[in-house]
Amino acid sequence: MTSALETRGLGRRYGSQWALQNCTLEIPRGTVTALVGPNGAGKTTLLRLAVGLIRPSAGSVRVFGLDPREQAGEALPRVGFLAQEHPLYSGFTVEEMLRVGRKLNPGWDDAGARGRIAALDLPLEKKVRSLSGGQRAQVALTLALAKRPELLLLDEPVASLDPLARREFLQSVVEAVAEHELSVILSSHILADLERVCDHLVILAAGRTQLAASIDEIIASHRLLTGPRGEAEDVSRMHEVVRESHAERQTTLLVRANGHIYDSHWTVHELDLEEIVLAYLGQDAVRRREAVAS
Amino acid sequence: MIWLSWRQQRTEAALTAAMVTLLAALFVPAGLHLASFYDHGGVAHCIAGHKNPACAQTLAEFGSRAGILRSVVPWLTLLPGMIGVALAAPIVLDLEAGTYRLAWTQSVTRGRWIATRISFGIVMALAAAGLLAVLFSWYRGPLDKVFGRFDGTSFDLEGIVPLGYVLFALGLGLAIGVVWRRTAPAVIASFLAYVACRLFVDGWLRQRFVAPLSATWSINARGPNLNNDWVLSSGVSDRAGHLFGGDFAALQACGRVAFKGAKVLNAKCLARHGAGYNHAVWQPDSRFWEFQGIESTLFAGAGLLLIAFAAWRLLRAD
Repeated sequence: MTSALETRGLGRRYGSQWALQNCTLEIPRGTVTALVGPNGAGKTTLLRLAVGLIRPSAGSVRVFGLDPREQAGEALPRVGFLAQEHPLYSGFTVEEMLRVGRKLNPGWDDAGARGRIAALDLPLEKKVRSLSGGQRAQVALTLALAKRPELLLLDEPVASLDPLARREFLQSVVEAVAEHELSVILSSHILADLERVCDHLVILAAGRTQLAASIDEIIASHRLLTGPRGEAEDVSRMHEVVRESHAERQTTLLVRANGHIYDSHWTVHELDLEEIVLAYLGQDAVRRREAVAS
Repeated sequence: MIWLSWRQQRTEAALTAAMVTLLAALFVPAGLHLASFYDHGGVAHCIAGHKNPACAQTLAEFGSRAGILRSVVPWLTLLPGMIGVALAAPIVLDLEAGTYRLAWTQSVTRGRWIATRISFGIVMALAAAGLLAVLFSWYRGPLDKVFGRFDGTSFDLEGIVPLGYVLFALGLGLAIGVVWRRTAPAVIASFLAYVACRLFVDGWLRQRFVAPLSATWSINARGPNLNNDWVLSSGVSDRAGHLFGGDFAALQACGRVAFKGAKVLNAKCLARHGAGYNHAVWQPDSRFWEFQGIESTLFAGAGLLLIAFAAWRLLRAD
């Protein structure tokens, strides 16, 4: 079975600036993937490439084996996309937005869409421009879901929402995943938003893929090692060192372990997902841990 | 898709319809009045060649009956420009507001979205301009028989040129809007570009579509009847048709008092001063439809090219 999303050496350039470079990843069907990275890491670029809004400058992107731009007629009905700013026609009523969805999507699930709007207590005759940010996000999500996509792409879906609306929105996504066979890719620059709902993780930073794996695998393989200075090389021969920092007599390594770590020189700590992600994003997780330890 | 096009352009469509209705409310009664005066007030009789002393007065009165509306009419040539640019605006707004990301990620392909939205704009633009052209061709019908239809104000509003103008304005609005992606500046820039192109064609290019006719005749002879033609230039000239450029006071010497104070000019004397003839350059009324065809093709062709460019840009945009 083809993957929900597959990229090979995918890159996109704006002028001389690469927004995304050499991105190779494969996202299996039926997963909920968090796409995490700092602002400007290329998350939006990757999602727009996946839905054919923009074309690659290098490499290729396939959704269910289809080119989203050249085979748009076949690919578009299978992909739902929710842009960061939740675009809706501001002069339209909620009812009219549903009509837009119905007119533009042959597979439209009208009963489902109306059910969702009713469950959210959104008045159908209200204009989009008079809705709150959270309500607008829910209407946009309703549109994306009622299209009955097999892959749903959500670009920073909760960034503009308050904490309550965030929880409600993500709850809606979880319910939709449970109800339909749906693969989801959500992007965010804050992992905490997504950790609860995702089973896969892709970390993008500086326009490149830093890590792409299931969350269980990530937690199981990453360890923090502290030990005597000067023996880091032995470790890096066996395992992938993500970050290292050296104090006067002590070295701290964050590694993606290739099997078990037996070396008795090192003290091995387990890490939580946030610490691992922060390390990949080049932030001070390692040093913070040291500060706590000392 | 058609419903969406209609829903997104209905404000502009309603404004256009309201404008056409308002103009019809103004010009239909005025047109009926003119037509009635033309038939029953003796104008048709005078035009048919039955000259009588009252005719000059009848024709002058006919002109003045058109009243204040007649002075409003030349401004109405801006309408096809406004309509075309206004109908392009909703599509540009989709780009500015980012809602194209919603539209282009539904199941309908981008190509179909572009084709439907633009076709819808074209149909509405042509319908509005067509109605205006019919209204003004009808209103000015009697006036045209007396004063001709080839001068600027009537040529621009009658026949088929308004269709070309509206396509041109729509194309400008789309092309500039698709490149600029900001609605308000694009609308203003497109309208200004429309006016500039129209001024250039009206004031310079149109009279050169086909070489004009010209004639030179002695001031004592009867010249051609140019009443309904588009006279580009006319005046006192020498025998070869060079317009008299000297001081008219010098020609006073050629006059002599004949009787009761009326002066008669001596043709031979005038000829010595480089005058003595009349010269006119004109486009004859019979070329009206030929000129309409050339100008419509020019503007509609440019408009369609601009529309094609905008569609191509949208299709490739990312």
